[in-house]
Amino acid sequence: MKNVNPAARISVKLVSEVGVGTVAAGVTKAKADHVTISGFDGGTGASPLTSIKHAGSPWEIGLAETHQTLVLNGLRKRVAVQVDGALRTGRDVVIGALLGADEFGFATAPLIAAGCIMMRKCHLNTCPVGVATQDPELRKRFKGQPEHVINYFFFIAEEVRELMATLGFRTIQEMIGRSDLLDVNKAVDHWKAEGLDFSRLFHKVETDEPVYNCETQDHEIDNVLDRKLIAGARKAIDTKEAVRIETDIHNYDRTAGAMLGGEVAKKWGYAGLAEDTIHIKLNGTSGQSFGAFAAKGMTMELEGEGNDYVGKGLSGGKLIIYPPKISKIVAEDNIIVGNTVLYGAIEGECYFRGVGGERFAVRNSGAIAVVEGVGDHGCEYMTGGVVLVIGPTGRNFAAGMSGGVAYVLDEAGDFAKRCNLAMVDLEPVQAEEDAMEKHEGMTNDLEAHGLVDVMGDMTRGDADRIQALLRNHAHYTGSKRAHEILLNWEYYMPKFVKVMPVDYRRALQEMQKKAGGR
Amino acid sequence: MGKATGFKEFARQTPGYEKPESRVRHYNEFTQPLSNDELAKQGARCMDCGIPFCHQGCPVNNIIPDWNDLVYRDRWAEAIEVLHSTNNFPEFTGRICPAPCEASCTLNLEDIPVAIKTIEHAIIERAFADGLVQPEKPKAATGKKVAVVGGGPAGLAASQQLARAGHAVVLFEKNAYVGGLLRYGIPDFKLDKQVIERRVAQMKAEGVEIRTNAHVGVTVPVSELDAFDAVVLTGGSEKPRDLPVPGRELAGVHFAMDFLTQQNRRVSGEAFDAADILATGKKVVVIGGGDTGADCVGTSNRQNAASVTQIEIMGKPPVMEDKLVTWPKWPNKLRTSSSHDEGCDRRWSVATQSFFGEGGVLKGLNCVQVDDKFQPVAGTEFTLEADLVLLAMGFVHPVHEGLVDGLGLDKDGRGNVKADTVKYQTSNPKVFAAGDIRRGQSLVVWAIREGRQAARAVDEFLMGSSTLPR
Ligand SMILES: Cc1cc2nc3c(=O)[nH]c(=O)nc-3n(C[C@H](O)[C@H](O)[C@H](O)COP(=O)(O)OP(=O)(O)OC[C@H]3O[C@@H](n4cnc5c(N)ncnc54)[C@H](O)[C@@H]3O)c2cc1C
Repeated sequence: MKNVNPAARISVKLVSEVGVGTVAAGVTKAKADHVTISGFDGGTGASPLTSIKHAGSPWEIGLAETHQTLVLNGLRKRVAVQVDGALRTGRDVVIGALLGADEFGFATAPLIAAGCIMMRKCHLNTCPVGVATQDPELRKRFKGQPEHVINYFFFIAEEVRELMATLGFRTIQEMIGRSDLLDVNKAVDHWKAEGLDFSRLFHKVETDEPVYNCETQDHEIDNVLDRKLIAGARKAIDTKEAVRIETDIHNYDRTAGAMLGGEVAKKWGYAGLAEDTIHIKLNGTSGQSFGAFAAKGMTMELEGEGNDYVGKGLSGGKLIIYPPKISKIVAEDNIIVGNTVLYGAIEGECYFRGVGGERFAVRNSGAIAVVEGVGDHGCEYMTGGVVLVIGPTGRNFAAGMSGGVAYVLDEAGDFAKRCNLAMVDLEPVQAEEDAMEKHEGMTNDLEAHGLVDVMGDMTRGDADRIQALLRNHAHYTGSKRAHEILLNWEYYMPKFVKVMPVDYRRALQEMQKKAGGR
Repeated sequence: MGKATGFKEFARQTPGYEKPESRVRHYNEFTQPLSNDELAKQGARCMDCGIPFCHQGCPVNNIIPDWNDLVYRDRWAEAIEVLHSTNNFPEFTGRICPAPCEASCTLNLEDIPVAIKTIEHAIIERAFADGLVQPEKPKAATGKKVAVVGGGPAGLAASQQLARAGHAVVLFEKNAYVGGLLRYGIPDFKLDKQVIERRVAQMKAEGVEIRTNAHVGVTVPVSELDAFDAVVLTGGSEKPRDLPVPGRELAGVHFAMDFLTQQNRRVSGEAFDAADILATGKKVVVIGGGDTGADCVGTSNRQNAASVTQIEIMGKPPVMEDKLVTWPKWPNKLRTSSSHDEGCDRRWSVATQSFFGEGGVLKGLNCVQVDDKFQPVAGTEFTLEADLVLLAMGFVHPVHEGLVDGLGLDKDGRGNVKADTVKYQTSNPKVFAAGDIRRGQSLVVWAIREGRQAARAVDEFLMGSSTLPR
């Protein structure tokens, strides 16, 4: 994320519970700019009662542990610690600071100041006071004004100021981590509280170092490969002029393309640039997350091999990976990309000449991919897009797949056994003889029509769609396998299986009905 | 939870009324119930709020969203179970409660509240029709004897709860029938007295012994209460506020309750030995702008008064409240009851300075406009002609003579019997008090709440612990 947007402050939200200090230390070492310790008292009105009542622990416990752990390990200066979870008063803020927080998250209370009445219907779009709804009629009911929230925070600030004056502090910084000043006896007088020992919660780690956030993390992104790519693509980014870059890549070049993608998106938004405006040819073995978040207009062609997380969060870019031309390995029998490829991709195209690892296209919501085989759990939790596998798959294919389609070349005829059929149906792929369609040029010659038609009506046109993808695949990667299938299409076509999520098909049909039965 | 989007799809519907010109010719109830389909829609309007403000808005803490949902889903038998779990007498509140629940309904903030009272009414009527209201006899008798003095809603609720807990309950009532103001105050056209009888039959079957014509402290000596392990006083707040201005003694000036009680007795054929107070053919002025006043207006019209005027000392309240300020509380706003629609001239900010008459018989009132501190505004004096004046200015406190003083109980600053709302215990440890006698004039729904809670307090007092709900 820091790569996509180096200016962003990266925050990691952690549930307040025993052991959270260790996790906080870990994410701080992993360069988080900010951690949030979230207590169990807060929570969105949309969450189920069970979660509201039974998840997490009080923010005080998690915050104390986090602060102490960070101080003990000399990490406290590098990270900002925020606390949230039903903070309501200035007193909460002061206690939070004394236990070690730099920042304080308020949500419910300012929402209430703006008119929320805790209906707990945020997830139903029926908020009766127009706070948490997209319904234009209900939004008219919203009566909140910025001044209501400003007022609320003035009161908070005033109470904080009063308490600080009583404690003798001039700045919040002086107050952070002064847990020695806390006392429980006065506030809590209940038989259940008898015998509780707060000494560990209030323990103050002795150190000469500052115990608040006063440094920034060194993210080690000043000399990454993307700086070079951005320099090379400057013209394209500024003026949309097409560029071609060629360079080597190594397995320490992680997240290649992400920062460039961020630059493109910053300038041109999600619409990005025209297809292939920035063509990057790379040679070698990439590090993890090759092509992550690549934007529209970026084409990243890798001659060599990918790693895990290729195309993570892909946002419109095109990724092409094939083995080195001089290599003698049989591409379709060897791994070309690692595990969890296309995790959470939203748009774009991928052509991988070779076999992918496990969890291929997990949580893909809109990208198109062609690959010559995948490991276990392919297309897990997929919600959109098209995946074409022209080789064997591992087990548990399509687990939790609720959208998009996958085509699998099932030469051995045993794919049904390896597919998780809980949410999907398997259908044959048939040549479409719909003369009308052909006549209108809708399904004809897909390659000429490009992406739009590949992503067209998913309930039909399968054979044409597969062929178009194969042609692209052969064209971009030189895949022998794709070439052979196309040559012997009549033989291979019946061996393709279409994986169609049941609810996805129903939704598509309903949408078609609404659109006038087309 | 009703239907998530129900409140956006369906408009609020409440029962229709028979037309004023025909309903003033009789003393029967005149609401026209909704169909089951319509009721389901009304239930669907409930949003099952994360914070159900109606729970607190309702003095008996009715679990409103749950039975709204059950009605929406056509599960009426469960609906009455949930409703009865918090309210002994939904047939009373479903008819004559001002429904503070609806004021506190979340929908009332930006929209129009769920028709809660209508649904409540429908649930209990259907339950009676379907034979679902059966005596709930106690599993075992405790051997304890409890006297309940006063048969209004507080006394009825306390008796029913205590009998169900297994105590031997004797309910004393000074009148010929129980019901308190439900029977002798609220007119038949708002609450048919058969509705009370139906419930009393259930209570008798549950073991409550009812002794009518038993005026404790007057016809029944207070010492008879010694035989009981505990006593609950639910005698109401029966001392009316008087208007001691010149001419008060003129013939034709009466307390509202004397007038209303007579008519209720007339309707049920109960004899009374007092001269008739009738509005027939008379110019009637009702002093007091509250519920009692409205009932006087409705009754006067049914008796064919020549004219009816209602005057109120307070200023005219706003027609629409500022909900952002008042919600979810009960707002002060102009309330027009069905009785007002039957014909009546209403005036606000009016004080009566004296009555005038001829030969000891009332002829009219000398009035004046007042400011918001109730001070007369000079030059605004005017007169109203009247043959009958009904004083409906509320009740100051319970009658002290006889019962309260006979037991020597402490009183609070307002002259009500002193007891808190946790133990409901008076200065005599075995004597408890609930309803208007303790809190001053109030509402039926509050009387039911206090009766229920006092029953629990008594049960705890007698048994050490209680499973009765609070
Ligand atoms: C005209 C009128 C209209 C009203 N309309 C509404 C309305 O629409 N909605 C609403 O919610 N509230 C209404 N109220 C208020 C409501 O009726 C009362 O708040 C409620 O009835 C109080 O209940 P209770 O049981 O405490 O007392 P009561 O109902 O007053 O009952 C007291 C009972 O005790 C009996 N009693 C008293 N002393 C003795 C004794 N010494 N021995 C034996 N018996 C005794 C009395 O005869 C009476 O039956 C109205 C009140 C009046 C006067």
